[in-house]
Amino acid sequence: MLADELRLARFAVLAALALVALPLFLHLPGWVPLVFALLLGRRATLVWQRRPLPHRLWLMLGLLLPIAALWLNLRTLVGREGGVAFLLLLVGGKALETASLRDWRVLLALGFFLAATPLLFDQSPLSALWLLLSLFGLTWAMVLLAGEDARLSPAVTARALLLSFPLMAVLFVVMPRLPGPLWSMPTEQQGATTGLADSMSPGAIGKMIPSREPVFTAEFRGSQPRVSQLYWRVMVFDQFDGTRWTAANLALPRGVEVGASTAALRYDVVAEPFQGYLPMLEQGVAAGEGVVLGYQQKLRRVDAANTARLRYSVQSVASSRYGDALGEREQAFYLQLPADNPRTLQAGQALAQRHPQPAARLQALQLWLAEQGLRYTLNPPTLADNVVDGFLFGSRQGFCEHFSSAFTVLARAAGLPARVVVGFQGGEFNAQGRFWQIRSSDAHAWSEVWVDGSWQRVDATALVAPQRVDAGIDNTLGEVAPRMPLVGGRPPGWAQWVGQQWQLANFSWQRWVVGYDAASQQNLFQKLGLGEVSAANVAKALLGGMALVLLPLAAYVLYGRRVRRSLPQQVWQGLAQRLRRAGLAVAPGDTAGELQAHARRLTEAEQQALAALLQQWQRLQYAPQGGDDAAWRSLWRQVRAFRPAKVGRKR
Amino acid sequence: MQSITFAYRQLNALILGKPQQTRLALACLLAGGHLLIEDVPGVGKTTLAHSLAAVLGLDYRRVQFTSDLLPADVLGGSVFLPGEGRFEFRPGPVFSQLLLADEINRASPKVQSALLEAMEEHQVSADGATHALPEPFFVIATQNPDGQRGTFPLPESQLDRFLMRVSLGYPPADAELKLLQGGDRRQVMHKLTAALSAADLLQLQQQAASLHVSPALAGYVLALLQATRQPELFLHGLSPRAGLALLAAARAWALLDGRDHVLPEDIKAVFVPVAAHRLTPRLPGSDSSALLLRILGNVALA
Repeated sequence: MLADELRLARFAVLAALALVALPLFLHLPGWVPLVFALLLGRRATLVWQRRPLPHRLWLMLGLLLPIAALWLNLRTLVGREGGVAFLLLLVGGKALETASLRDWRVLLALGFFLAATPLLFDQSPLSALWLLLSLFGLTWAMVLLAGEDARLSPAVTARALLLSFPLMAVLFVVMPRLPGPLWSMPTEQQGATTGLADSMSPGAIGKMIPSREPVFTAEFRGSQPRVSQLYWRVMVFDQFDGTRWTAANLALPRGVEVGASTAALRYDVVAEPFQGYLPMLEQGVAAGEGVVLGYQQKLRRVDAANTARLRYSVQSVASSRYGDALGEREQAFYLQLPADNPRTLQAGQALAQRHPQPAARLQALQLWLAEQGLRYTLNPPTLADNVVDGFLFGSRQGFCEHFSSAFTVLARAAGLPARVVVGFQGGEFNAQGRFWQIRSSDAHAWSEVWVDGSWQRVDATALVAPQRVDAGIDNTLGEVAPRMPLVGGRPPGWAQWVGQQWQLANFSWQRWVVGYDAASQQNLFQKLGLGEVSAANVAKALLGGMALVLLPLAAYVLYGRRVRRSLPQQVWQGLAQRLRRAGLAVAPGDTAGELQAHARRLTEAEQQALAALLQQWQRLQYAPQGGDDAAWRSLWRQVRAFRPAKVGRKR
Repeated sequence: MQSITFAYRQLNALILGKPQQTRLALACLLAGGHLLIEDVPGVGKTTLAHSLAAVLGLDYRRVQFTSDLLPADVLGGSVFLPGEGRFEFRPGPVFSQLLLADEINRASPKVQSALLEAMEEHQVSADGATHALPEPFFVIATQNPDGQRGTFPLPESQLDRFLMRVSLGYPPADAELKLLQGGDRRQVMHKLTAALSAADLLQLQQQAASLHVSPALAGYVLALLQATRQPELFLHGLSPRAGLALLAAARAWALLDGRDHVLPEDIKAVFVPVAAHRLTPRLPGSDSSALLLRILGNVALA
């Protein structure tokens, strides 16, 4: 049995485990952490009542049942969810098996392992903060388990953790990275992506609920762009069945031509792929490592199946058009329209007849749309059949999806090849971090029309409602003050400030910690002059880094805690040191007489000088009259002037 | 002061080749403490005790401790006086200025504790009456080293009553040669003359007790005490009483040097005799004295 004073420590271990497992409530089927809590609670009551552990049989039963349930629930015991849930149940079972001190230590070690599992689900700064808290709890329990006094234990824990952080940082920076973040484990199928859906049906409302959830960040090198330049292109919808826009995803092996008349914007983006595509400003001219710029000006990951967050560099020229030589068949493809929406088709065809020149026709189409008395709202009525007709000639209310869809249909009806581009428009500039935060609510859709050999962007929403927002949105979309591109209300100043700080933290976290991958490590190694990330170089960096971190610590332990020496101590130790330097075997505990005995190997003059010094020392230190500060200082000066020559082996 | 130097010289004329031990013995008595001499038989324990009494001019008695000795044999007892019809206390050998308790570890613990109580209290209680012992009062006990047959080792709490424990050891060769050539030491002893009186001794004791101890020196003593309290060296470290004993002994030692203040040298000289018998090494088989010498070598003066 354990000593009774370790009861507190045992409670601490259980409490730390509960703390560690708390975030898993967010990621696992709720009953799994609940069973874990029950197992821990049972163990705690046993400790409290000083009762023995349950029989092994009960334990087996108590563990096999939940595991069976887990199998039925998830159909797996591996992978991210299944594996973590399985581990959690096993740790809970282990708690009911801990008797000896060693067992408790094992349980604690499992706790450290468990503490890392929430990161498999979420790598936000909040998770990191929780991990820190978990580490503190676990270390505290460890300190208590080692028999430390309960009152001293928080300070001891804090110091232990603080001392370990530099080493932690070195290991983080130096240890070889796996390509891609470690936690980009195979996720379950549901993998919902935020903001953008894989199709667009302007009739059915609520596809894009404008939440202020951050989606991605972008950091520009050099000058910052204007908000009106920020058309973040993600997907292209080129097929329309009358109600729904989808992507045909033709993969034509054709590059992109962009007239590079203006200087390119160079920027880095940290984003998760949307349906396999990454945001990029129009018009992209060069893609950095890990991403490919392809057909229809779409940006993909090189490893397309990977859905993890990625940091990549892109160059774009802010331009609303880019050249693309469409063949006959392609032109025909971009003109396809179903027979629905007869009134829209009619209007388009009429405009086509009046304006034979494509460029003039495009202008006429825009003018026509602007004159239809359309109203921008996030809360339009739902539409059933002939949604474009219903919007243009009936409700006349809609948001970007309606506008872009209607204009694209109109353009195709007027004989101009056209398509819908989905992405984000704008963003919020964080002045402290000098980066742009793009939110879900910045999601946007616009049209692209092919005129005279190049694709021309037409933002129909901007045509109609440059800066209008309809009141009454809040009733239906209660989450946060909604904000659509080009128009929008802003939260109050302080909230904005707090929000920006949080964004900054989030951004830095994503950029420096989560985004620290093999490439950035290689980069850092180069900058530090360490060369390739090879085994030898990693070992070198590891040793060097540890020395860098541990030597100051060792110095602190050896010298930092040394009490400031008093003047008599300085005099005495200085004297002994000088004799040692002269080659005499002076022991720490030697008295004045013994020093003099050692000094027989010195020259006559030195011996006399030493005798005088020692006599003074004895008088000041031990005689009834003692010595004042001035006397000590004078003696210290004399000691410093005393420099006996080194003695030979024999004299 | 000259008288004490004279006493010291006389002692060394008798106890050949042991100036350090005789000086310690003298310092022990100057500090008012009791002395334990531990050694194998025949190296001069009794001679030292005897000659100390002679040169210091003290009234001297000797008790040979045996296993059948009774407390009354040492302390004295009440005797019935038929003529007067009452009891009278007849003082035992303890009522002397210097008692030589020879081979104290041969006696039963009962006798040992009776004697040690008298040493501590400087008085004897018998039949409800308290009888004060004379002043000065010293006990010089000799004992054979533990492990010899038929001994009752003194417990630590009683060893603590002795200010010092001194071992004589075999004399150096030249001294022993001189000893072998000379006459019987007991004959020589009879030629000893008292160098000082009991009153002189009391005065010297007072003088020793008034010697200056600077704060720095007290700090050094404290460092030594604390060094003995490292748990890996001894079962228990030195007590504060041992610290006071150390200072008292060092003062007497400094007085023998003719100084008016105590130096670390004095502490170092008396440290092992004062401390060694109060300590039990943690590791069986290791020697207290050796450990203490190591401490002396390592504890810095400042």
